[in-house]
Amino acid sequence: MLNTYMELVRIRFLMMLAYRVKYYSGIIIYSLNIGVYYFLWMAIYGENSSLNGTTPVQMATYVAVAWMSRAFYFNNLDREIAAEIRDGTVAIQLIRPYHYILVKCFQGLGEGIFRLLLFSAPGLFLVSLVFPIQLPTGVEDWGWFVLSLVFAFVINSQVNVITGLMAFFIMNNTGLIRGKRVLVDLLSGLLIPIHLFPEWAGKILAFLPFQGISYMPSTILSRGLPTSEIIQFLGIQMLWLILLLIPIQLLWMTARRRLIVQGG
Amino acid sequence: MFYVRLFFHYWMQYLKIRMEYRSDFFVQLVTDLMFQGVNLVFIIVVFSHTADLSGWSREEVIFIYGYFLVPFSLFASFFNLWDFNERYIIKGELDRVLTRPAHSLFQVILETMTPESLSGGITGLLVMGWAGWKMGLELSWYDPLLFILFVLGGGAIYAGIYILLTSISLFSDSKTDIQPIMFNVGNYGRYPVDVYNKVIRTVLTWVIPFAFVGFYPASFFLNEERWMTLALLTPVVGLVWLYLGIKVWNWGIRNYRGAGN
Amino acid sequence: MRSIEAKGLTKDFKVYQSRSGLKGAFRDLLNRKYRMIRAVDHINLSIEQGEIVGYIGENGAGKSTTIKMLTGILEPTSGTLQVNGYDPHREREQFVRTIGVVFGQRSQLWWDIAVRESFRLLKKLYRIPDDSYRQHLDRLVEVLEIGSFLDQPVRKLSLGQRMRCELAAALLHRPRLLFLDEPTIGLDVLVKENIRHFLKQVNKEYGTTILLTTHDLSDIEALCSRVVMLDQGKIIYDGDLERLRSQWGDGRRLILELKDEISLSALNERSHGLALRWEGEGTRFVAHMENGTGVSDVLSRLVPAVTVREMKIEEATTEDIVRRIYREGITHHA
Repeated sequence: MLNTYMELVRIRFLMMLAYRVKYYSGIIIYSLNIGVYYFLWMAIYGENSSLNGTTPVQMATYVAVAWMSRAFYFNNLDREIAAEIRDGTVAIQLIRPYHYILVKCFQGLGEGIFRLLLFSAPGLFLVSLVFPIQLPTGVEDWGWFVLSLVFAFVINSQVNVITGLMAFFIMNNTGLIRGKRVLVDLLSGLLIPIHLFPEWAGKILAFLPFQGISYMPSTILSRGLPTSEIIQFLGIQMLWLILLLIPIQLLWMTARRRLIVQGG
Repeated sequence: MFYVRLFFHYWMQYLKIRMEYRSDFFVQLVTDLMFQGVNLVFIIVVFSHTADLSGWSREEVIFIYGYFLVPFSLFASFFNLWDFNERYIIKGELDRVLTRPAHSLFQVILETMTPESLSGGITGLLVMGWAGWKMGLELSWYDPLLFILFVLGGGAIYAGIYILLTSISLFSDSKTDIQPIMFNVGNYGRYPVDVYNKVIRTVLTWVIPFAFVGFYPASFFLNEERWMTLALLTPVVGLVWLYLGIKVWNWGIRNYRGAGN
Repeated sequence: MRSIEAKGLTKDFKVYQSRSGLKGAFRDLLNRKYRMIRAVDHINLSIEQGEIVGYIGENGAGKSTTIKMLTGILEPTSGTLQVNGYDPHREREQFVRTIGVVFGQRSQLWWDIAVRESFRLLKKLYRIPDDSYRQHLDRLVEVLEIGSFLDQPVRKLSLGQRMRCELAAALLHRPRLLFLDEPTIGLDVLVKENIRHFLKQVNKEYGTTILLTTHDLSDIEALCSRVVMLDQGKIIYDGDLERLRSQWGDGRRLILELKDEISLSALNERSHGLALRWEGEGTRFVAHMENGTGVSDVLSRLVPAVTVREMKIEEATTEDIVRRIYREGITHHA
C-alpha cells in the first residue's frame, strides 16, 4: 500500500523535473519579491536598530527565508482538486483502491521535495549571496527549522485541500482559490511578521492556523529563539495539523455522499 | 474612426458574454479588491512602526500606490497577453486574425481585453482622493490634464514592454517565462524609488522604466520638486516604449511562421 | 484579372535544433543551431477568376504553407505573388477584404456569442454597408438553411451546423476568392453533399474563384475541374481531373470467380496480345486492364475454355490514383 503512494511521490517528482526550466524563472521571481520587501523593510528601519526586538539583519533574513520557504510549501492542490471535481474525474477515483485525498497529498509531497531541492535550497543560497542575511550555522537550529517547515507544508496542503474540496459546494470556486492565496500570504506572516502586526490583529492571528505556514518556520531560522519557544511553536503547528483533519474529513464525507446520490 | 467603432463593438460583445457568466465577473472584482486591500494593509501596518519611509509620509506612500493602480488598471484591462503564446501561436488563432482586415495587434487586444479590471483604477482614484484629502493637497487647473497624460503615458510604458515581450512568441514558439518576471519587476514601481539602491533606481528609470508608471508622476502631484523633470517626461517615455513595442510586433508578424509547422 | 498569379513562389523555414541538458540550454541562448527547410519550392500557379481548383498533397507536402502565403498569413521567402491584384502579405489589410477563408479544423467565429452577433462583428470588421449586408445575409441564411440557430452561441452548434455558419461568415463580404481548407472534415455524407452543392451555386452565381484543399477526394471529384498536386514543395501535376485519371488511372480491374481451377500461365496464354496483367490462383483471378482494353475482348478470349461463375468490374478511384502517385512518384509514369 505504502509502495503505491511512494510511487506517486516519485512520479510527481520526475514530472516536475521535466518542467524544471520553469523553476529557474521562479527563482528570479522570488528573488525579485525578496528584493522589493527587503528594500522596503530597510527603509522602514531607517536609522532604527530594532523593531519590536528584531534587528535589520534578522528582518532581511526573515524575508529571504519566508519567501524561499513559500517556494517549498506552495502547491496547486486546490486548483487540481477543484478541476478534477468539475470534470468528474473524482467520481472515477472513488472506485479505485486508494484514498483520493491521500493521493493528492502524496503528489503534493513529490512536488514539495522537488521544490525544496531544486528551487528553495538553491534559491536561498543565491539570495544569501546577494542580500546581507545571516543564517544560523548550528545543526540544531536547522533541524528545528526543517521540522517546522515540514509542518508548514502539511498545514498549507490541508488548507489547499479544503479550498479545493469546496468546489463540491460552490459552483465557481476559482475566485475562492485566488482570494485564499492572497489572504494566506498576508495572514501567514509572509509579508509582515506576525509580531509586527498591531496588537489586536496579532491576537486574532494567534487563533488561526495560517501562522504555522510561514511565520513560525521563518522566525525559528531568522531570530534564534530559545528552545522552549521553538517547542511551543511546533506544538501549535501540530495542533493545527490535527485540527484541520476534521473539516477535511467532514467535507470529504459529505462530498462522497453527494457523489453517490448523484451517481457520479 | 473605424478602429474606435470596432473597439466599442467588441466591448459590447464582451459585456454580453460577461453578463452570461455574471458570478465570474463579481468574483473577479472581489479578488482584485482583496489584492489591493492586502497591499494597503501592508503600508498601514508598516507605518505603525515608523513615521516615514525614506522621507515619505504614510499618506504620500498611499497616494503613490493609489496613483499606480490607475495606469496599471489600463494595462491589466487591455494588455492581457499572458496566454498569447498558448492561444494564438500554438493553437493557431493568429492565423485567423491575420485573415481579417484590421491591424493584427489591435484585434488581439480586442479579443483578450478584460475591461472589468478598470475597477482597479476606480479603487486607485478613491485611494488617491482619500490620501490627497488627508494631506490637504491642492489641485491646479492643469493637474487633471496632466493626470490623464501621465496615466496614458504610464499605461503606454506597460503596454510597450509587454507587447515587446509578447512579440518574442512570433519569432519562436518555445515558452519563456519572461512575462511573469517582468510583472514582478513592475511591482517596484509602486513605491518611492529612493527606497531602493542606486543600481535599481537607474534600472527602473532608464532600462525598464516602471518608475514612470507610478512613482515619478505621482510625486509630481505631491509637489515634489526633485523629480519634476522626470515626471514630465512620462508621456514621452510612454510613446517611445509603445512605438518600440509596435515596431517589434510588426517585425514579428513578418517573421511569423504559422501554426502547426 | 487573374485570381492568383504566383511565379517561383518559395518558402523556407529555419528549424532550430535545441541542445540537450542545462548546459545545452544556455548554449542555445547564445547561438542556436538551425537548418533550412524548403516547405514550398518555386511554385508557378495561375488561376483564373471563376475556377474551382483542388489543391492536394500529402501532409507536409507544403499545402498549408502555400495557402498561408496566398492568404497573406505568411510572407514568401522569394518569388512573386499577386492575389486579386494585391501582394497578400504586404497589403494584407486591404487584400483580405477581397478573400474569404474557411479553415475546417478551426472556427472563424466567436465561440461564446450568438452566430448572428459574430456576423455583426464581421460586418463591422469588413465595413459592409447596411443594406448590402442585410440583403446578402438573408440570401445566405436561406440557401444554407441556418436561420433556425442564428441566435445560438457557436459552441452549442453541431459540426455540420457550424460549418454552414463558417461558410456564411466567409462569404458575408462577397469575396472574389474563397479559400477552403478541409471544409468537409468530420461531416456526414448528407451535409457534405449540401455543402458541395452550395459551393457550386456560389461559384456559378457570383463567379467566385474557389481554392480547396482536402483529404477527401470525393470533394474534388464533385467540385473541381482542375487539380493541382503538390509533393515535397513542388507541383507535380496541374491539370484537369480527367487527364489525371487517364494518365495514372491504371484502367479497370476485372475480378473473376471461375467454376474450375486453372493456372495463371494458361490464362496468360489465352489473353495473349491484350494489354493486361493477371493476378490470383485457383478459381479467383484479377485482370488489371490497361486503358483501351475492353472487358468484352477479355471475355471473348476466355469463354471458349473456362466457365465464369461471378464477375465484377472495378474502376480505380481517384483516391487509389493519388495514393499510387504518392507512393511511386510522378517520374515513373511521366
